Amino acid sequence: MFLKNYWYVAAYDHEIERRPVGRIILGEPVVLYRLQDGTPVALEDRCAHRHLPLSMGKLVGDELQCHYHGLRYDKTGTCVRVPGQDMIPRSARVKSYRVVERYHWLWIWMGDPALADPDTIPDFHWFDDPAWGAKGQYLHVKSNWQLIVDNLLDLTHLAFVHETTIGNSALVDQAQVKVQRSGDNVTVTRWIVDAPAPPTFVKAGGFATNVDRWQIINFAPPAFLRLDVGATPTGTGAPEGKRVGGIGMWNLNAITPETETTSHYFWGQAHNFDVKNPKTTDMIIEQIRTAFLEDVAVFEAQQRNLQMIPNPPQTDINADSGVIQARRILDRLHQEEQAAAAKMVAAE
Amino acid sequence: MKFRVELVWTDDDAGAASSIFLTADGRVILQGRAVSPQVREAMALPAQGDMISVDRNLIRAIKDML
Repeated sequence: MFLKNYWYVAAYDHEIERRPVGRIILGEPVVLYRLQDGTPVALEDRCAHRHLPLSMGKLVGDELQCHYHGLRYDKTGTCVRVPGQDMIPRSARVKSYRVVERYHWLWIWMGDPALADPDTIPDFHWFDDPAWGAKGQYLHVKSNWQLIVDNLLDLTHLAFVHETTIGNSALVDQAQVKVQRSGDNVTVTRWIVDAPAPPTFVKAGGFATNVDRWQIINFAPPAFLRLDVGATPTGTGAPEGKRVGGIGMWNLNAITPETETTSHYFWGQAHNFDVKNPKTTDMIIEQIRTAFLEDVAVFEAQQRNLQMIPNPPQTDINADSGVIQARRILDRLHQEEQAAAAKMVAAE
Repeated sequence: MKFRVELVWTDDDAGAASSIFLTADGRVILQGRAVSPQVREAMALPAQGDMISVDRNLIRAIKDML
């Protein structure tokens, strides 16, 4: 299941230069490159002639030349040159996609171009904000994208999957979790009030007393998850909205389906302490990456099982409350998109 | 207290629904106000059993979230 009428992250800005890059997004082959003035372009990665990926070709000026027979395409996907003939068949064109560059990511719109509104790109300003130190990473995951969304909405797996890295059993034994649905967004909130700071927080925030900790997960469809985590000295008012004298971090995630069984996982981490020190950013990223690789092993094992036994019965538990809400929203949005597409086909 | 989840459904006008609590022992607890004997009498409601008055948003929350 893919939701088409949404912006997705296609690549990091630094990945796309003058050399064409091929990437499968929502099951469609896409080639990404930049024009000479730096404008990013995304076209269908399949020559209209004999279907070779255009990403195997090269740029000649601002035209993308197929590696097989030299057909050239402009930025709109229209073939503008066929070697050996003056006449260019009208059918010699490939699909073009709208691309927007924001927050050091290239965002692509795979659905109805008429609905592509850049204002609906979710906020990931932390990557650009000088008040935060931030860095992004990429993981290729051999699992369906929804397994990653499930994982990020569920705090309790930390105690088990990340037992040796960032989790402990207290995350499950005595937890109070709040799940809020607001429109198509889900927020999962957990506060740990007046508790000792974990060692990583002591190191980063220099806490000498107990702290109030928060873990607030925001989900926006189709697969954007922004995790707000941090701590302040206890009793200073963080649960009431006053965050002073502490540390805060955002774990930022954008998952782009590659196929039904594989995903592009763009993620990053922002921190509001020692913001100008890249070593701090790198140290945090490395810690999170270690934990995320533990998650990836889980996703890929789940996917292998799901491919052997498609749609098996599954049991839900209280800790799945956020996951269930997100799944319901996604199912409804998918049904709405399918219905709208069927209506359009009928009207044609 | 063990692992406990509070579900809240928020309307477009940002008015929060009363909460639904999923408890570790498997109960679903709804938040509402007790209906007083006076209100029961005035509205000809049954006198027996516990009764609570809930926000309409709670019904939406039950429908959409449970």
